[in-house]
Amino acid sequence: MGSTGPVSAASASPPGGRASGPAALARTLLLEPFTRRARLELLFCLAGIPLGLCLLVVPYWGAGFALAVALIAPRYESTWVAAAVTITGMLLLVVLATRIARRLGAVHRRLAARLLDERVEPPPPARPVRGALGRLGAGLHDGPGWRAVAYQALKLPVAVVQSYAVLLWTAGLVNLTYPFWWGLFRNHPPGVTLGPVPAAGPFPGRALHIATFAGTFAAFTVGATMLLAAPWVTRAVVAGDRWLLRGLLGPGRLAQRVRNLEQTRALAVDDAAARLRRVERDLHDGAQVHLATLAMHLGMAKEKLGDDGAPPDVARARELLDAAHRGAKDALGELRDLARGIHPPVLDNGLEDALATLAATSAIPVELRCDLPERPAPAIETIAYFCAAELLANAAKHSHADQLAVRTAGRHGMVVLTVDDDGVGGADPARGSGLSGLAQRMRTVDGRLEITSPPGGPTRITVRLPLRT
Amino acid sequence: MRASRVRVVIAEDAALFREGLVRLLQDRGHEVCAAVADGDALLGAATRHRPDVAVVDIRMPPTHSDEGLRAALELRRRHPETGVLVFSQYIETRYAARLLAGNASGVGYLLKDRVADVAEFTDALARVAAGGTALDPEVVSQLLGAGRHAHGLAALTPREREVLSLMAEGRSNAGIAATLVISAGVVEKHVASIFGKLGLPPTEGDNRRVLAVLRFLGS
Repeated sequence: MGSTGPVSAASASPPGGRASGPAALARTLLLEPFTRRARLELLFCLAGIPLGLCLLVVPYWGAGFALAVALIAPRYESTWVAAAVTITGMLLLVVLATRIARRLGAVHRRLAARLLDERVEPPPPARPVRGALGRLGAGLHDGPGWRAVAYQALKLPVAVVQSYAVLLWTAGLVNLTYPFWWGLFRNHPPGVTLGPVPAAGPFPGRALHIATFAGTFAAFTVGATMLLAAPWVTRAVVAGDRWLLRGLLGPGRLAQRVRNLEQTRALAVDDAAARLRRVERDLHDGAQVHLATLAMHLGMAKEKLGDDGAPPDVARARELLDAAHRGAKDALGELRDLARGIHPPVLDNGLEDALATLAATSAIPVELRCDLPERPAPAIETIAYFCAAELLANAAKHSHADQLAVRTAGRHGMVVLTVDDDGVGGADPARGSGLSGLAQRMRTVDGRLEITSPPGGPTRITVRLPLRT
Repeated sequence: MRASRVRVVIAEDAALFREGLVRLLQDRGHEVCAAVADGDALLGAATRHRPDVAVVDIRMPPTHSDEGLRAALELRRRHPETGVLVFSQYIETRYAARLLAGNASGVGYLLKDRVADVAEFTDALARVAAGGTALDPEVVSQLLGAGRHAHGLAALTPREREVLSLMAEGRSNAGIAATLVISAGVVEKHVASIFGKLGLPPTEGDNRRVLAVLRFLGS
């Protein structure tokens, strides 16, 4: 449910940067407590515990109510009053629960984003309503609000485990100190017997009892072990918390889908308008100018030829007709290019033919392999074609490649188009290339664009589109 | 009118068309003082050369919307004696209204296509240079077709409608007579009849007449 965009750029670092083997494993285990990640996760636990335990307050509210009822009811000798007070309390709780849970949820999301880099989109806000009944209704119908309540409820046991993780850290640290201060406090004269000093172990309720200096080393060892285990326990419980966060404090699957669709619809509408504007501009600045000039030349030539009889200026008329002829051919060329830009006719024969035509006109040699068991929907073919055209044009402009490869394959109801080049790499959708525009266009049909382009190359761009719109 | 030599400044961003226009006007014996590609250059050239008329494309850089029109209006404000012939690939009656606001003398608004009829185009240019009016038939037919004055126009005979259109385009009685191949006297009679039927006050001068007709059509 995480809001992954349509573009995913694979990391450029080569795999196998870390050595494997038992030595490396030992290193990882030993150093883990000192990593930044472990520190941040511990902080997340620390910050979350009071918020998580907030809910424990609820029973006290209940107790307060019960007390109030107990005080009032006998005075009026009526259980009706007690019932009324209880019902009012429940209703108040219903109205307030979702609001409070939403507020707390926002704090949890912010903590997760700051400390864990876990970015969860906020759910859509509750609809504003007026009146007590309206509020009650809205509170009851507030799906994301109740999911936030569920998170708060589940956070309670999670916070308990998180407390345990924090305990591992603190008790582990304290245990490490035993050998250092033992001598300071245990310098009693011989013959005096002192009770053993308790030390917290990894299992709550089962304390160690240290009676001798040698015993402090046992405490030290236990502490070290606890510290080594602490980051992993923390990570496990934080992972669970992340899962709950994503599932319960996010916008929800349906809301996320709606938001996505709204965004892509807006993109599609803008895109369509921009295309029409571009077509108009191309016509205005291209074919229309050519045709107007052509008409002008023909008009002038007509004058030079005169109405009847011997033409007054044949040489000039010829020159003008020549210009008109050239203009007509230019206008035709312009119109042809424009029409092809709107919809390449060869696409009607299928994606394979269209891509072959495209490959044939590329400045860099293209190796083409098409393997589509089933013909995609026309709109998908069009998008795939224009993607390929743009990617080839991009490669020709930026990659300095000697060889390109275009492949299409059909897999699990998807069309997968891959464009590889052996160029310099470093393609980045964030740097305002046409790639982000492509990714946007792809989103309108739930397609995805994946870019692997480490500096130094090679570049592989994969486009995944559904077979049907 | 054909014989008079007109001094022209051209503002048009499409180089091909601009060159063609320069050739056409020079062929006809007119003097092209400058041919520029945007509104600012037009204002500069107009101040420098003080032409009789400026031919201005509406869509020019940088925004390709209506900077030509704005430059033309500014030109009219700064140099009222210079005629302005605005032309474009589309006709927008709103643009015509802005151009004609208050004063129709020395104003023209034509489709670019009109250059194909060289004689008519240069006639229109000369008319604007001399302080007359030249409106594209397209503007007039859009206004006539708007249907706002259907009842008033219904009273006109087909011939009177033709005369009204030509009048709105900015033609003089002599011009209308030549176009329709009728005598000037008949034209005068038609014009008087049209003004009577539409309830327009009779006015002297072709430009005032254009404005009166356009106000009627556009109101």
